[in-house]
Amino acid sequence: METPRDEQLAADLRALRPAPRPEFTAELDERAAAGFPRRSHWPQLSWRLPSLRVLIPAGGVAVIAIAFVTALSVSNDSGSSSESSGVLNMTPPADSSSEPEHAAEAPPAPSAASAGAAEVEAQPFSREVKPGIHKRAVERSAELVLGAAPADVADDSAEVFEAVHAHDGIVMRSSTREGEPGVAGARFELLIPSAKLGDALAALSAIDEVRSRHEATDDITAPTVQTGELLQDSKARIDSLLAQLEAAETESEREAVEAELAAERRHRAALRAQLQHLERRADYSRVLVRIETGASEDSSGGGAWGVDDALGDAGHILAIAAAVAVVALAILGPISLVALLAWLTHRAWVRRERRRVLS
Amino acid sequence: MEQALVAEAKDAPRAADLAFDRLYRSSRDDVYAYVASLLRDATAAEEVTAAAFERAYRKRNRFDPERGEPRAWLFGIARNAALDELRRRGRQAELTAEPADLESFAPSEGAEHNERRLAVSAALESLEPRERELIALKFFAGLENREIARVLGISESNAGTKLHRAMTKLREACDGNA
Repeated sequence: METPRDEQLAADLRALRPAPRPEFTAELDERAAAGFPRRSHWPQLSWRLPSLRVLIPAGGVAVIAIAFVTALSVSNDSGSSSESSGVLNMTPPADSSSEPEHAAEAPPAPSAASAGAAEVEAQPFSREVKPGIHKRAVERSAELVLGAAPADVADDSAEVFEAVHAHDGIVMRSSTREGEPGVAGARFELLIPSAKLGDALAALSAIDEVRSRHEATDDITAPTVQTGELLQDSKARIDSLLAQLEAAETESEREAVEAELAAERRHRAALRAQLQHLERRADYSRVLVRIETGASEDSSGGGAWGVDDALGDAGHILAIAAAVAVVALAILGPISLVALLAWLTHRAWVRRERRRVLS
Repeated sequence: MEQALVAEAKDAPRAADLAFDRLYRSSRDDVYAYVASLLRDATAAEEVTAAAFERAYRKRNRFDPERGEPRAWLFGIARNAALDELRRRGRQAELTAEPADLESFAPSEGAEHNERRLAVSAALESLEPRERELIALKFFAGLENREIARVLGISESNAGTKLHRAMTKLREACDGNA
């Protein structure tokens, strides 16, 4: 046999070409005519993941929707919190240096103690102080600014008085001014029973537009307890001196004990006054009410909702939406990167395996 | 004018379908022959051929004419499907091929022709799988060298060189069988 020439070899190779079965070609022609319907091994699971051209825009829309909804939610929360911050915004604790002034302005105590010695011993304390069991003493203060029209200042002032009296409060100082918007106004320094402070503030806030409201607390438990203990010690010392006085035999001895007893009684009176002052600070809250006229200093805090407010809110919402989008991207970015790397790795592995399969 | 545009828009996907149908008609047997030469299993070749056409049909809108001829694109898909099938089955291309059917050779061509083709078939079996694939792409599928290069992801000159070496080796194997 001769070695086939190229043409002959090519012809022989073409003659060796595998030919499909007629049944197969007929079946394939039918499927081609039908648009190659999918042959699923699990017909009931004929669904499949949508293509990337659908998934990417859908994912983007989902992220934007989540950002928008979250922004709206956060914005609403922020709105309510700013509203409540006007109610619950705590200023730093009141400076204790104002104590003397406070004492000077304090109302007459229910048990207006005289500095006399003998009576003091007989009067019980308005608040019993037991060593080891201390009720917390908290001094509270509040400041309320109301906005009003100049013509309403007088009526609002009258309502302030009514509200104070309705809650057993005391008007320490008050002043009103008439005039143009911005000039007219009123100022009230009040003492309100701490137990009724919340109700009183609610009543005062209902008088007119609330422009600002601040409350503050100061825990004065420690000085109250310390003063009470000193008072107990002083009482014991006086009892001891009284016993010494009864036992004194000489005049000079009696005079010396009486002098010491007088000094101790003065000391005890001072302690008792101090304790009563502390108790009053806990029992009564200082409230400053101001009625202002004219434009509010904080234009965003009141008045009708206008274009500026709308722009501000829109900017706020957009800023939050952008922040949420950044957070979403920060989460989705690494996940996408990992998925991309996994896909690239898988693809490279498949290509390598395909090359290897013919090696 | 508007009606013409609407009709054109409606015809656009149909034109793509028609183009694919033409590709299918012209390549069906070629794809089968190529896949069968890779898999060397008629039943598997039918499955993979059908799967390749189905895959190509699904991707027909993604075909970019600037990246090559439609036939090269189609054979690239068929090649991947066949190699995936080989991987899946854990087979190797050098597994025993189905024996050549002597009766399939036309009796009228004479015993000498049949004997020579058997020798070529045996020589073909002795080639490396990659060399056999080149010959299948050239003579079973009827691809041009540039199309073969496109399918295999190599340059056209490289494809020509490799094909020449494969043919030389095949010729030598035929000489040896003779």
